[in-house]
Formats: sequence, C-alpha cells, structure tokens
Amino acid sequence: MLRARLLERAAAWARKRQGEDLPPLILQARRLYILPTRAGVAFSVLLFVMLVAGLNYTNSLALLLTFTLVGFMLVGMYECQRTLQGLELTQAWALDSHAGSTGLIALRLANGRSATRRALCVRCRDTAGTRFDIAAGTTVSVRLFYPATRRGRVSIDRLELATTAPFGLFRAWTWLHLPLTAIVYPRPAGQRALPRSAALASVQQTPITGSDEAEWASLRAFNPGDNPHRIAWKVYARGGALMVGQYAGSGGDEYLLSFTGLEDLELEARLSQLAAWALECAERGAACGLQLPGCQLPLGRGAAHQASLQRALALYGEAPL
Amino acid sequence: MKPGADTALNGAAPPTRSGMRLALGGLLLAAALNAHHTAWWCLPVLAAASIWHLRVNLRLTRLPPRPLRVAIALLLTTGVLLSFRTLNGLEAGATLLTAMIAAKLFETRATRDWYVILGAALFLLLAACLDRQQLWRLPCYALTLWLCAGALRGLDGGSNQAPALLLRGAGRQLLLALPLALVLFIFFPRLSGAFWALPTGEAAITGLSDEMSPGDISRLVESDEPALRARFSGPLPPPALRYWRGPVLHDFDGRTWRRQHGQPARMPELNYRGPAYRYTVTIEPNTHGTVLALELASPGDLPSVIFTGDYQLLAARPINQVQSYELSSYPQATSRAELSTLARRIDLALPHDRNPRTQSLATALRASARGDAAMVDLAMAYLRDGGFEYTLTPQRLGRDSVDDLLFATHQGFCAHYASAFVTLMRAGGVPARVVTGYLGGEWNHFGGYLMVRQSDAHAWAEVWLADRGWVRTDPTAVVAPERLTRGRYDFVGSSAGSSARLLRAPWLRNALQGWEALNAWWQDEVVGFNFRRQLDLARWLGFADRDWQALAVAMGAGLIGWMLWMSWTLRRALRRARPDALARAWGRIDARLRRAGLARAAHEAVLAHAERVAREQPAHRATLLPLARRYAQLRYGAPGRAEELNEFLRSARRYRVAVQCTTIPIVESNGIVSGDE
Repeated sequence: MLRARLLERAAAWARKRQGEDLPPLILQARRLYILPTRAGVAFSVLLFVMLVAGLNYTNSLALLLTFTLVGFMLVGMYECQRTLQGLELTQAWALDSHAGSTGLIALRLANGRSATRRALCVRCRDTAGTRFDIAAGTTVSVRLFYPATRRGRVSIDRLELATTAPFGLFRAWTWLHLPLTAIVYPRPAGQRALPRSAALASVQQTPITGSDEAEWASLRAFNPGDNPHRIAWKVYARGGALMVGQYAGSGGDEYLLSFTGLEDLELEARLSQLAAWALECAERGAACGLQLPGCQLPLGRGAAHQASLQRALALYGEAPL
Repeated sequence: MKPGADTALNGAAPPTRSGMRLALGGLLLAAALNAHHTAWWCLPVLAAASIWHLRVNLRLTRLPPRPLRVAIALLLTTGVLLSFRTLNGLEAGATLLTAMIAAKLFETRATRDWYVILGAALFLLLAACLDRQQLWRLPCYALTLWLCAGALRGLDGGSNQAPALLLRGAGRQLLLALPLALVLFIFFPRLSGAFWALPTGEAAITGLSDEMSPGDISRLVESDEPALRARFSGPLPPPALRYWRGPVLHDFDGRTWRRQHGQPARMPELNYRGPAYRYTVTIEPNTHGTVLALELASPGDLPSVIFTGDYQLLAARPINQVQSYELSSYPQATSRAELSTLARRIDLALPHDRNPRTQSLATALRASARGDAAMVDLAMAYLRDGGFEYTLTPQRLGRDSVDDLLFATHQGFCAHYASAFVTLMRAGGVPARVVTGYLGGEWNHFGGYLMVRQSDAHAWAEVWLADRGWVRTDPTAVVAPERLTRGRYDFVGSSAGSSARLLRAPWLRNALQGWEALNAWWQDEVVGFNFRRQLDLARWLGFADRDWQALAVAMGAGLIGWMLWMSWTLRRALRRARPDALARAWGRIDARLRRAGLARAAHEAVLAHAERVAREQPAHRATLLPLARRYAQLRYGAPGRAEELNEFLRSARRYRVAVQCTTIPIVESNGIVSGDE
C-alpha cells in the first residue's frame, strides 16, 4: 500500500521532471531509475552476512569471495542500467478497443547496439506487461495492453519500460509519457434483434451467425479479424486457402440504428446495444447508419465507417476534444 | 498468484532451463567442496534430489506431495542431529544446509526458490572457504562461483540462453568485478579480533599430540604435510641445531608419555647467550597448542603466547588456523635457576612396578658412574654399543615397553630411544624429560624459507645437570647419527619403496619445491593478509599514525577508479552495432550526394530519394537510379549470391555524382542521412 503510494508520487515527480515524450526518443541516463528487487535486497543481506563472517574469522578467502560478489553485483547494476540506456523508441500508437476487452498499444523499439538487450518488460498501469528481448542491431514491434474498462476517450499517460537483466537482482525502469490517446468503444452487449428501419426494409432476413456453409453465396479471402465461424474449413481442409463465406444478398441490407426506441434501457446499456448492432451489421456486410442526439451518421459500409460509428457511440456525452 | 501481480512484485519471470542446470551444477560443486567435513550421506542425498529435480523438469516424474516433502525435511534434520549431536558449528551447519537444500529441491518451482538455492550454494562455498584455504582449492572455488554467477544470469526474466552464453556473460561480469575485489581485499579495514570464536571442529589434524606412545611418530613420518615454515632474516641455523621444540612430556606410565598439566606458567629464567636467529614461523593448525620454535626461544613481546617453565610457547588460543609468529631464538641459552623440589620430583617419577630390568640396569650404571654427567655418557654409550637398530617399523612392544626395547627387540626409532633414555636417567636419579617436536627442515630456494614437515617429527631428551641446567641429549644421534644430518628424502629413501626413489629425482623435487613455494606465497600474502599488514601498507603509503584514514582514502580512490574503468570497459563492449557492408556503401553514396546538395531527407527511403533526384535532375537517371534499384533489390529482395553483393559494392565505390552546372543546390533543413550515423 505504502509502496504503491510512494511509487505514484515518484512517478508524478518524474512526469514533472521529464515532461512529455515524443517519439523518436532515445532513452538517456537521466530518465532511468534503478532499485534492487526483493531478490537483490536478499542477496545484499547474504553478502553482509558473508562479510561479517569473513571479518570475524579474519578469513581472507571468505572476504575475497564476498568482495568478488560485491563487484559482481555492482557490475550487474551497471549492466542493468545500460540495458535501457540508448534504447530508441521510434513509434508508438494505441488502437481503439471495446470496453471490457483489452486495448492494444504498439511500440517500435530499436536497439542500435552490438549486444542483445534482454529481459525487457513494458506495461501500462497494472497490466501484466509484455516481456521481450531485442537482438543486437534490430528493431522490434512490441504489443502491450491497456485496460479498457470504461467507454470514452482514454489517454495512456504513462507506460513503464523496465528490465531485470542481467540477473534479476536489480530492476531499471523508465516512465514514458507519450501522447497516446485511444477511444474505448462501448461494450457490445444486448439481446435485442436488429431493428429494421421501416423505410429501408430489405426483403429477406438472413442468419446472423452460424457456419451453415450451404447458405454462403460466395467466398472471399480471409482477413485477420474475420469471424472464425465463417471460415470455410472444408475448403481449407482440402488444401485450399483460408476463405471466408459471404451470405447471399447481404450486400443489400440496410439498417438505421437509432438511439430512440431504446428508452427502456439506461444510457450505457443503450450505447452497448447500438454498438452490438453496428458490429452485427458489419458481420452481415449490411450497410448501417446511426442516429444519436446531436449526431447523424449516414448509411455506409466498411471498416472506416464502422470505426467512425463506434467512435460516435464511444464519445457520446463526452466533451469534444 | 496472478501473473500480473507476480510481475509487479518481483519483476521475475520463470527461471530459464539453462539457469536451473547451472544452479544445480554450482550447488553440487559447492556441496562437494564441503564433503570433507559434512556427514557422508548428505552429498549423495543432494545428488539424488538434483536428479529427481531434473527429471521433474523434463516432465518424466512429478514433485512429491506435500506430506512426503515435510517427512523428507524432518528425516534429514534428524539425520544431521544424529550425525553431529548438534546443529551448531561449521560441520553441522554445512551438513544441515546441504540437507535442507536437498529437501528444498523437492518443492522448487518459482524463481524465488532458485534464488534461495543459489544463496545456499554461495553459503556452502563460504563454509568451504572458511574451512579450507589451500591453493589447489582456489580453482575449484572459482569454478563454483562462476557456475553460480552464470545461474544467476539465467534468472533475469529474459528468454532462455545457452549455458555457454550465460557462462560467458558471468565470466565477463566476474572479471570486471575482480579489480574491485582486490581493492576491497587490500584496503577494507579488517578486524584485529573476532566477535565470536570459531567453533572448533573435531577434524583429525595430523601432527604431534599431547602424548607419545611408541608408534605415533612413525605414523607421522609417513605424512608429507607441512608442519611449519620459517623465514629467517639472517643466517640459517646449521642442520644440527634445527631442533623445533614442541610439547614437553613429563608423565610416564610405563608405556605412554604425557604432558604435565597445571605446570606453573611462569617466565623461565634463562641466560640468553650466543648468536640469535630471528625468523617468522608459520605454523599449521595443530592440536597441542604449542608454538613450535627453534630451541630456545626468547619470549619477546608476544602477547598471545605463554612461556612455560619448561620452555614451551603455549598459544593463548587454539591454533586451528595457520598462524604466524615473529620469534628470536638463542641455541646456546642456558638455564639459570636451580631446579625446584617439585620439578625435580616430577622429572624423577617412574612407575616403580614397570620396566624392572631397565631399573636394575640404571642402578648398575649409576654405581659405575661418577656424577650425573658421567651417568649420561654411560647411558649413551650403552645405546650406541648395544646393537640397536633404527627402523620406522619396529616390532610391537609389550607392557614393559622399555624393557622390551632394551633387552628383547633392539629395534626402534626416536620416540623409543628417547623414552628408554629418559627412563634410564630417571631410574639412575638424574631428572630428565622427553621433548617432542621436529628436527630438520628443507630449504626451499624458490620461496626462501625452511620447510619443516610432519615427517620431520622427532623426540629427544633433556637431562638436568647441576652445573649446566637442562641439557639437550638426543639418543637417536648415537643410534642413527645420519638421521640428524641427512635430508628427508635420502633418509626415507633408505627404508621405503619406489615412490621415495622417485621423489629423489631432481626435476620432480624442483617442481614440488616450486609448487610449495607458490603455496607458501599464497598462505603468507593472501590467506595471511591481516589488519597488521594493512597498517604496514598504510604506513608504506605515507600515512603515519592515521591508518584508518589512509585505508579509507585508498579504498575510496580504488572504488572510484574501478567504477570509471568498469563503466568505460562495458561501454566499449556495448558499442553501437556496426552497419553492414551494404549500408556502409550506401552511406558513402549518401555522403557524396549530400556534398553535392542532394541530401536525402529523414523520411525518404533510398529508392524514393533516388527517384526524386532523377526527376529533379535527369542527369542522375542513368547512374543513380539503377544503383538505388539494385540496392533495394539486395536489401529487401530474396537473399542473393555473394557475387551480386560484391558487384554492387564495386559499382557503389566507383559512383561519382553527375555534375549538373545549371542547378543551384537546395539544402534541406532536415537533411539527416540515416545511413551515416
């Protein structure tokens, strides 16, 4: 508890001291912090006991052993700090996500040095973090998660990049204050059936999910993010490419998703239902539009349209940036 | 525990497989280095536990259930208690630690457990260092330390590394640490005393003891181990004077000679006359607690030594570590005082029901002798002319040991003859006592010291003559005069087998002496480095009277110097990755273009840049553009053949910027060329 409070104060102090970071950014020594880990503290106690034993028994060999270990520890401390120093952060971006899931942050980190930087861990707040090594002279993309708990705009004010190399007795870290902002969409939830807008009603109703391959009209190539239920496994099993089934006539459907008509639900539940419907439309390949108080989105299709739709839902009621 | 919580608290990922294996190796080696003083069963138990753990690791078997683990721990603790009857002391402690770690291996999973195991391995290594400091063990200790350090590096939370890689990193880390270790070793202020005493073990130490029975010394003669080393500041004493005085034995029960306990510890009265020998004697651990000194030592100002009435130097504390003393001895010193009644009674006492024939022989000799000195001469003559044989393997003696020697076996060595002679003297009314110690010493010309071994152990006699005081009389000198003058190898060689003959080979002797000199240096300069030597060093550095300050200043300077050196070395080792040949070649082209005012912008790729240049200045279309395309092909295309790369490098070297006089160069504000950094 005390530890967490102290850390929070230290982080606030570091924020004031370092200011905002903009990639590309090379980690300099002045923004690196280092402390022994629990194992490091225990190891220090062990060294102290060894020192006392050596002094007490005026035993030169025991003292030599102890002093060698002291040097070993100090060299390791320096190595630990050097693992972060000079590391280059070239890019950073945060992806939007739905509340209740985990949002993705991606960083590109370049190691311009002739040695591997090991045991790095980057994390946002209290998430588990991502562990990785960067081989000598290479650049890696690292993904980590930010907790997407609540709908709206989240600014990822602080990331922690740490290492415990070379032996886990010390932990060096830096706080990155990147101007990362992500939109957390409402949690897609709600059991209600998709309301067909009377004016735009289409002729037939098609199943929403299911892998009834007989009903697929055509196949298209798989894209990451496609519903796994719609993968044509039979085609794949015959040695073909990974294909996704498309429903007949799905291109013709049009839905207008409206805030009104859901008055019996509270605000967040309404937005969740709308988000779920929007996803459903995308799944079916149907065009959809959105009507929110103070916000109208025309009918449209595609990933970009879907994103603007979800964004509108996410930012509903929030002050514009 | 959630993985996230684990990360937040320890920053530790699961230990890598290489780290575990190195840790097991280091642990086993550390335990093996303690094998000489731990219980015999604990090393096999630890090895079995390690094998079990490796099998668990390879998923061949599972960890035992919790009740079984508790039972194992209890069983092992009981085993230690049964073996040592205590959990205190270095032996019991090391055994307990080994046993507990064996039990711990049955429940080891997390990184924290491995830190515990490595800590235990290092502690076992410390125990071994505390107990044994011989030079030959140093490589073993270093290897153990190296394995443990490598194992530690396997716990850093990164991906698995090959053990060789871990060891390489650990080796570099240890080598970088070594100068600091030496600085601290030399300048870190030692304590002159101990907070608490070293628990004494009951390990068998070869050497003289508090008593002497026939057979004891012959066992010692077989031992090559060193007893003491003496470094003389001046001339060496001649071989005939190299009597190293040890325990003096007064009490005789007919078979065994014992020390007189409760001897009044008073300063003896001696006339120190004649030449003096000054020397530093370095004594191996012994059980009798006597500082072995050349006869006869002056007490000088040694606070840790008690000088007894029978000229023994008793150490105030048990000599369970190698100790050094600075002494001066006067071989011609004589006793000044009269023999007290009590002392006379002690040194005339004999068990009256033992050795009757010796007693009657003494009576006969006494009758024909005029005075004590003549009695001594008659007894020596009897031993010289009685057909006695000097052998290290005599026949066994019975209850009346002296009678058996003088009238039955006629065989024996120094202890037998000293015992017989003192018995004869006492029976004849001359106060006499047995002195044990060492005779001789081998000059080590590599180290410049006299080495006295356990095989030089000797026993002789002292008799009290009214006008001369205590006089050393060595009956062995008349039975086997060569024992006094000949070297050890020659002497042993006459009665031993081929190994002794081998020892007489000059090259082997030289090699052995060199090795011993190295050991002596190690013992004197490293193991024997102490607070006094630190103060000498401080004075040598020019800090008279301010020893502590001197040490602190020197230590601080060493620490800072080491920090600078270490960081510089590491920085050099972690230099920037060198760009490959392709990037270097393009870097040169970029530099030429930059000088021509055609710098590549930070956002531009090589090909995009070349296309822009060709668009703006068509003169480059024929030269730059094909080169840039080939570069992109080599960089991003399928791996090509080596000739293609070489061909590209050749044409890149030949490339010159096409001259176009009409354009004015446009220097871009952010013209950073990334390939040239």
